[in-house]
Amino acid sequence: MNRNQLSQGVFLSTLPADRFKTCCVTLNFVIPSNKSTATVSALLPMVLSNSCKAWPDLTSFSKKLDGLYGASLSADSYVLGANRIIAVTISGIKDKYALKNEMLSAEYVKVLLETAFSPNFKNKLFIKDIVEIEKQKLKEILENEINEKRMYCLRNAKRKFYGETPAGVDKNGNLQDLEKTTNKTLTAFYFDMIRSSSLEIFVVGADEQAVKKDVLECISKLDRKPVELLKPDVMPVVKTQYFEENMDIVQGKLCMIFTGDHMLNDEEYAKMRVSVAILGSLPTSRLFMNVREKQSLCYYCSASYSVTNSMLILDSGVEHQNTQKAEIAILKELETLKTTLVNNDELSNAKLALCSALDGVGDSLHGLVGWYLGGVFRGVNVTPKDVSNLIQTVTAEDIKESMNSFNLSVVYRLTKEGE
Amino acid sequence: MIKEQRMIKSDRADFQYTEIVLHNGLKIVVAPMEGYTGVHAVYGTYFGSVDREFEYSGIKHVLPAGVAHFLEHKMFENEDGDAFSLYAKTGASANAYTSFDKTCYIFTATQNIEESLDILLSFVSKPYFTEATVKKEQGIIGQEIKMYDDSPEWRIMFAMLQSIYSNSYVKDDIAGTVESISEITPTMLYKCCNAFYNPQNMVLSVAGNITVAQVMAAVEKSEMNFDSKPLDKILPEESMDIVRKEHEIEMTVACPMLGLAYKCIPYAENKRHYGEVITDMVIELVTGDSTPLFKKLYDTSLINGSFGGESLSGVGYNCVMFTGETSNPKKVRRELLAEISRLKEVGINEEDFEICRNLMYGECISEFESIQNVAGSMADAAMQSRTLFDHIEIIAAVTVKNINDAIKTMFDEDKLATVTINPISEKR
Repeated sequence: MNRNQLSQGVFLSTLPADRFKTCCVTLNFVIPSNKSTATVSALLPMVLSNSCKAWPDLTSFSKKLDGLYGASLSADSYVLGANRIIAVTISGIKDKYALKNEMLSAEYVKVLLETAFSPNFKNKLFIKDIVEIEKQKLKEILENEINEKRMYCLRNAKRKFYGETPAGVDKNGNLQDLEKTTNKTLTAFYFDMIRSSSLEIFVVGADEQAVKKDVLECISKLDRKPVELLKPDVMPVVKTQYFEENMDIVQGKLCMIFTGDHMLNDEEYAKMRVSVAILGSLPTSRLFMNVREKQSLCYYCSASYSVTNSMLILDSGVEHQNTQKAEIAILKELETLKTTLVNNDELSNAKLALCSALDGVGDSLHGLVGWYLGGVFRGVNVTPKDVSNLIQTVTAEDIKESMNSFNLSVVYRLTKEGE
Repeated sequence: MIKEQRMIKSDRADFQYTEIVLHNGLKIVVAPMEGYTGVHAVYGTYFGSVDREFEYSGIKHVLPAGVAHFLEHKMFENEDGDAFSLYAKTGASANAYTSFDKTCYIFTATQNIEESLDILLSFVSKPYFTEATVKKEQGIIGQEIKMYDDSPEWRIMFAMLQSIYSNSYVKDDIAGTVESISEITPTMLYKCCNAFYNPQNMVLSVAGNITVAQVMAAVEKSEMNFDSKPLDKILPEESMDIVRKEHEIEMTVACPMLGLAYKCIPYAENKRHYGEVITDMVIELVTGDSTPLFKKLYDTSLINGSFGGESLSGVGYNCVMFTGETSNPKKVRRELLAEISRLKEVGINEEDFEICRNLMYGECISEFESIQNVAGSMADAAMQSRTLFDHIEIIAAVTVKNINDAIKTMFDEDKLATVTINPISEKR
C-alpha cells in the first residue's frame, strides 16, 4: 500500500489492482465516537446517498449509477474502536469494459465527490422532505433490529458490555434522538464533520492522480480543522453480569463477551488469532467439534475477537432447554485452553488455516481495501504476509497465555418464556 | 478418459475457460485466473430439495423432504473421520450448500491445492452412514430448521411457494421439517448416493491459481464410480392453479412484511436461461431503485431498501416473487399491481431499457473478478448445459420488445398469491 498525506488530516492510499475487472474509490471521514451525534451520524450517509445537487432525487441518482454499468455507490456509518467512520464508496467496472469506450472511472470520481461534498441543499440546509423520508427509514432500521435474532442478542450483549463508553455508541443511534433530529441539526453536523474529520481516501484500480487533483480542489474550498481522534481502550474487568430476555422465538441465543486486560500489539494479536481459531472460528475448532458435534448442544457456536477493543465474543444458537448446559460446555472449552497445552497438530492446523486465508486477502478487491483500511485505523501498516510470519511463531504456551488474559464480563440470553 | 475438451472464450468479458467431459459423464470446467493466489473449487451434484421422486436402476423411490440437504451434512463424515479434519491439514476453508436443484461441496485454498482436490473428490465418493450418525445429525439439522423458523425472510418465501404450488416439491423447506427428517435412514441415504452422486450427474468446477493439468491429475487419482446406471427424475403433476390467494403469519418482527408470488409457466430446459435473464431485467424495470414505483413507495415511506423482486425457476417450476417490509402491505400491493398494469399497457421505454441493460452488463462483468463467483457460475452453467458467457450474450442481444412481450405474459393476477407477516400481537 502506498499512503500519502495530501493536506492536514487528509491521506490518500493506493493499492495495485490490475487483476480485477472493477475499481473502487472510498472516502472515509473519521471523527471521535459520541453518543450525542450517533443518530445524525447514522442518518447522514442515508441522506447523502439519495440526494446530491447534480442528481437531486433517488430516481435520477439511481439512473446515473445504472447508466454507469451499475456502478455501486454506498454510504455507511459505523463505530470502530472509539471513533466513528462515515464512509462513501463507489465501485464499478473498469474503463476497458465499457461498451462505448466511456471514461467510467473519471465519472465514478465525479459522482463520489458530488455525493460527499455537494449535497442537495435548499436555503443552505438539507431538504426537509428528504431528511424526513430517511428519518423514517432509520426509524424502521432501529425498530427492525429485533427481526434478526442472532444480531439482536449480540448487540444487546455489547450494549451491556460497553455501557456509556465511546466504543459502545450504537451504530444507528436511537429513536429518542431521531425524533429530535431536523434538517437543521443534520446540516450542522454535516459541516462539523467536513471541518473536523480526518479523511482517509482509498483508491484501488482507478486513476490516483485524477482522484488526488479532484479531492484537493474540493478540499481547498473548505474550512478544515481536523480534531484529534480517540485512542481505543479495553473495558475494565468487572464481576460477570447476567441478562436474560424473553421473546417468542423458536431457537434461543446465547452470547458471552470477555474483556482483555490490555490492547494487543501485533505479536499478541497474532497469538490471539491462533487462539480464537483453536477455540471457535473454524469448523474444526473446539466449540464446533465438542459443543455442537459431540454434545449436540447448539446449532452454531463460534468465537470471534475484536482487536479495536480487545473483546472476545462467543455466540451460539441453542435449544431453550439446553441454554444452561451449552453455557457450561462453552466455558469448559475455554477453561481447558487456559489450563492445558494444545497439541502440535491442532496448533499447526490452526496456523495453516489462518495463513491460507491471509494469502487469499489479495484475491478480492473489497478484501484488500478492508485489510489496509483496518490497518490505517489501528495505526499499523502490515501486510497479510507480515501477519502470517508472526502467526508461524506462536507456541502452545502462547495460547494458554492469551486465553488467560480474558475475563467474562457479560452473558446475554435470549430465550422463550416458560421454556 | 476424456471424451470431449474445448476452450470457451469471450472477448467481451476478456475471459476464458476449459470444459472437459469424461467418458463416465463427469463435466469438468477449469478457469485459470492470472494474478490470483487462491483456488476455489465446487464439486456439485444435480440433486436438490425438489428431487424427491426418481427411478434408478428400474426402481422408483420417493423421499421425505430434506434428504438432499441431510446428505450434504452427512457426506463430510466417513469411516476414518470427517473431511473437515482432512482439510485442516491442507489449510483449505471448506463448506457445502444445498439449493432447490443442486448440492455443492466447496473449498477455497491458497496452499496444498492438489491435496485439497484429492480430499474433495474422495469424500464425496465414499459415503459412510450408520444409525447412530444419522440420529445425531437429525438433532443438529432439527436445530438448523428451528433457526430458520425465526427468520421472516425464509418464512415468507416458503409461505409464498406453498401458496402457489400444490404438488411441486419446491414448496417444501430445503432442510425439510423435524418430522420429515426423522424418516431418513442410512439405507435411504446410500440409495440417493448411488443415484445422484455419480459422475454423469456431477460437475467439478475450479477457478483461480490452477491449471487444467492439475485438475485432471486429481481426477485421475480419484476413485470415481464408473458404473453409472440410468437415473430418471420424476416430476409431480402440477397444474397452473394456485393453492390460496392470501395467507397471513404472525411472528416476532417489528414491522409487517409483504410477499407477492406470481406462478409462471415453467421454461423448457433449452429456454430457461434466456427466460431467467429476461425476468431479471423485467423485475429491475418494475421495482428497481430507478423506477417510478420505487420512488413513489420510497418517498411515501411505504417501503425501505428491503423491497425488491426475484425469480425462481427450475425443472417444473417458475415464479416471480416480490417481498419487502412495509407499514401498509395492502397499499404496497395495490401500487405494485397498478404499476404492472400500467407497464403492460404502455411498455418500457427505450431509454430505461438501455440503462437497465448497462446495469445488468456491468454486474455480469464484475462477476468475473472473483474466484468464488467464477467457479460457482461455471458449475451452474455446466449443470444447465450452457456456457458461462451465455448470460452476457443474452444481455447484449435482448431488445426492448422482448422485455415488453415478457411483461404482458409474466404477471397474471389469477396466478398471484399474497402473504403477509404481521408482528405477533402484544402478548410478548
